[in-house]
Amino acid sequence: MENPAIFWRVTLWILFWGAVGGVVTPRVYARKDKDISQAGLAGAAIGAALGPIGLIPLWIRTPKLTGRLIVLAGLMVIGIFVAAFALADPNNLCVANGGFVVSQLTNGIVIGIIYGLMALGLTLIFSILGVVSFAHGEFYMIGGMVAYFLSVSPFYKELRKSAEALAENTGGILAFVNYVFPPLILLLSACIVTFVIGVIFERLFLREMNQGKVERPGEYAILVTFGLAFFLQYFTQALTSANPVKAQRFWDFPRVKIPEESGDILKMTAGNITVLREISIPNPRFTAAVIAVVMLGILMWFLYRTWTGKALRAVSQDRQAAAVTGINPDNMNTLAFGMGAMLAGLSGASLVQVFSWLPQVGIPAAARSFVIIVLGGMGSLPGAFIGGLIVGLVEAAGTGCIPDTTRAAAYIPAYGMIILTLVLLLKPTGLFGREL
Amino acid sequence: MLRTRKTLWLLSLLAILILALAACAPAAEQVGEPAAEQPAQEEAAPAQEAKEEAPAEEAKPEEASMEPIKIGALAPLSAPGAVVGGEAMRDAMNIAADEINAAGGILGRPMELIIVDTEGLPEKGTAVAEKLINQDGVVAIGGGYHSSVGVAVKEVTHDNHVPIVFAEPWNDTITSVMYPEVFRIAPLNSEVSAVDVKFIIWLRDVAGADINKVVLLTENTDYGIPAAEETTRLLGEADIDAVTFSVDIGTQDFSGIIERVKAEEPDMIMVLATGEASYNFEQQAADAGIGPQDVPMLCNQVSLVSDAFWTNVPDGNYCFVRRVGLPVQLYNDVAKNFLAQYKERTGKEAAESYALEAYDSIKIIAQAIEEAGSTDADAIIEALENIEYTGALGTITFPINSKNPPDKAGVDPKWWHQFPEPAITIVQYQEEGQDSNDTTVVFPETYATGDPIIVGQE
Repeated sequence: MENPAIFWRVTLWILFWGAVGGVVTPRVYARKDKDISQAGLAGAAIGAALGPIGLIPLWIRTPKLTGRLIVLAGLMVIGIFVAAFALADPNNLCVANGGFVVSQLTNGIVIGIIYGLMALGLTLIFSILGVVSFAHGEFYMIGGMVAYFLSVSPFYKELRKSAEALAENTGGILAFVNYVFPPLILLLSACIVTFVIGVIFERLFLREMNQGKVERPGEYAILVTFGLAFFLQYFTQALTSANPVKAQRFWDFPRVKIPEESGDILKMTAGNITVLREISIPNPRFTAAVIAVVMLGILMWFLYRTWTGKALRAVSQDRQAAAVTGINPDNMNTLAFGMGAMLAGLSGASLVQVFSWLPQVGIPAAARSFVIIVLGGMGSLPGAFIGGLIVGLVEAAGTGCIPDTTRAAAYIPAYGMIILTLVLLLKPTGLFGREL
Repeated sequence: MLRTRKTLWLLSLLAILILALAACAPAAEQVGEPAAEQPAQEEAAPAQEAKEEAPAEEAKPEEASMEPIKIGALAPLSAPGAVVGGEAMRDAMNIAADEINAAGGILGRPMELIIVDTEGLPEKGTAVAEKLINQDGVVAIGGGYHSSVGVAVKEVTHDNHVPIVFAEPWNDTITSVMYPEVFRIAPLNSEVSAVDVKFIIWLRDVAGADINKVVLLTENTDYGIPAAEETTRLLGEADIDAVTFSVDIGTQDFSGIIERVKAEEPDMIMVLATGEASYNFEQQAADAGIGPQDVPMLCNQVSLVSDAFWTNVPDGNYCFVRRVGLPVQLYNDVAKNFLAQYKERTGKEAAESYALEAYDSIKIIAQAIEEAGSTDADAIIEALENIEYTGALGTITFPINSKNPPDKAGVDPKWWHQFPEPAITIVQYQEEGQDSNDTTVVFPETYATGDPIIVGQE
């Protein structure tokens, strides 16, 4: 960094006025008997963005604190921070190399989408059952294991051959079968296995808790899901050994170049897609992100357009009222736990072609999911998805922009934690959490 | 009634799960059990008969004399440790134990090898070493893979005055602290770095590769950080720029780092991250167009586990890999015999360097106890200092010791209780799916079996 003084002065300014705004604003609003639910966050954002120039009028006029105001102030803070960074380190790749910035942003979005899918399952379980599943990472691991072992089985190899033959025999009309059908089998298998394990576990261990037959349900849920996590991890290790495995990519991209000569706009090889010569996404990662987006769409359709989905949401909002309308909350609990486990399993199945897979692979993934759902707001589905994107982007920005290469990647687990700490300080319910 | 049925059902399910676990866990049992099994039982049989015939009081000294001598062994058998390495070491150490017991045990007593899982974590390594010493009562410890674990465990063995022969940890400080109990047959980190850099300079100056900038991907451990620092220093002396990227052990997603590595436009990449992290990086780099087929890459030594390597890094052809120990063509009889048993036990075609080291670490302890004629720690240490053991790695001695300390010998303290001559070669995968046994030895020229294929050169 060429001019670290600029960067650190601006950072200290942001932190100082952010802290002043975050602490004083709720008190000013409370004294004037106004809504203080957003006061901490809004005060911190406005203070960090404008310092005393913004805070003094805010405290005098105490306007209504809308989400738009907070977002605007937040964007200003990011803008000031980025400008300070650019002035302090003009040769940094994140400042001087536009292609690099776009690539890192793309990486962040792609991995953020995948994080979001993983966290969605966890937040779905929490919103319906009120339980934080500590076995979520293990469902993720099992999804990947199921997909891997099926992918190397003779059955799957035969299936691929048949799909290829069908695609060839139909002269390309059913070419998509070759691409879509075999991987779909892997994903569906992972979904079914994790869903079934989730349903069985809920019926055996959580139903009695939800029926009020367990004395200390909070502690019971933590212990029993921890127990499940250990059991699944070591049971899998006993079955599969602790050696890492990795599935081959689900399909090869067709070779495409636009324009035909240079491929400057789009260039696809079997294992990579390059857009505008700068944005490069490896096939497995792209595939996993597409699966996550499709699954998110299906989940949203299910939750908002079907009776069962609406019933799930109803139970998450008011269990007793939902029961009065004829919804069986116990069945919804079972369904939610199964679906949550299934979403984790699906994430795992889509990522087993990206990462080496071990029985312990779910531990960091689960830890990240906990960060995401607290960041997004416990029980909030959009919050989980947005939280995933934020964590993905922050990790990409941190890894890409921190000048010291010996630290940039080593701090990956810390980036999400920093954001989480800030959000918890300013908005303890998370970005999209329900106000208490 | 319903509750009773449900309870019964739950109990039945639990029983089935426990049975399934028990049935599926041979590997876990193998770790802790005496490796002697067949041979030990055969050897012990006459003593057993005598014991049955003799009156109870008279049997006591007999029983005591047939008490197994317990030797501990460290290996990373679960993540985030390098599991592929740990499992190879476990198999190798079990072969050593079987051989020792088949040959009559140690001091006429059977040997019991207790292998514990360090998970590649210093805190776990410390805990299992404490257990080995204070609960299991081992007289010496062998094995060990991760440097960070070695650095921590050496303190435990020193505090408890139990000799240890480290098989694979490379960190220089393990021996440079000059603890009487600590011996090592693995190479020193600084020596390995020196070989790596000599290889890179050779690639540039002799093989004609254009290498001006090297990116090092290292793990944040007592192995990775010193190795990267020493390599950077030595590369600097050869006018080669080095940029180091550090990651946590067990890192999975390298996408952000790979973009930065790409932006550095390196002429060569070195992977100083062990275990699964190395596989993840190598394949993700290949996916991003800077893999072993695009840029010369010195992959991590776990790449020598061919099956795991090709499963996890299908685009890993042309990886250079550092191998500790002689090339197969130059194996001595001990190594050939070990390889045959290793193949039979594991189905693998080649033995990894850490398997050879692990095997030797147990056998050298057994020979030291035999020569000491006692399981007393001081006697074993003295025997190790004077030992001349011919093993799979060659003839092992520890010439810098209490009688010839570093200051008297005029060498750095890192050579204390250190096997001075482990052979280090660089091999290259030159065909997809190739077994590590069949890889081409490219460096040093003395051992070379072929020329390197240098990718990415215009």
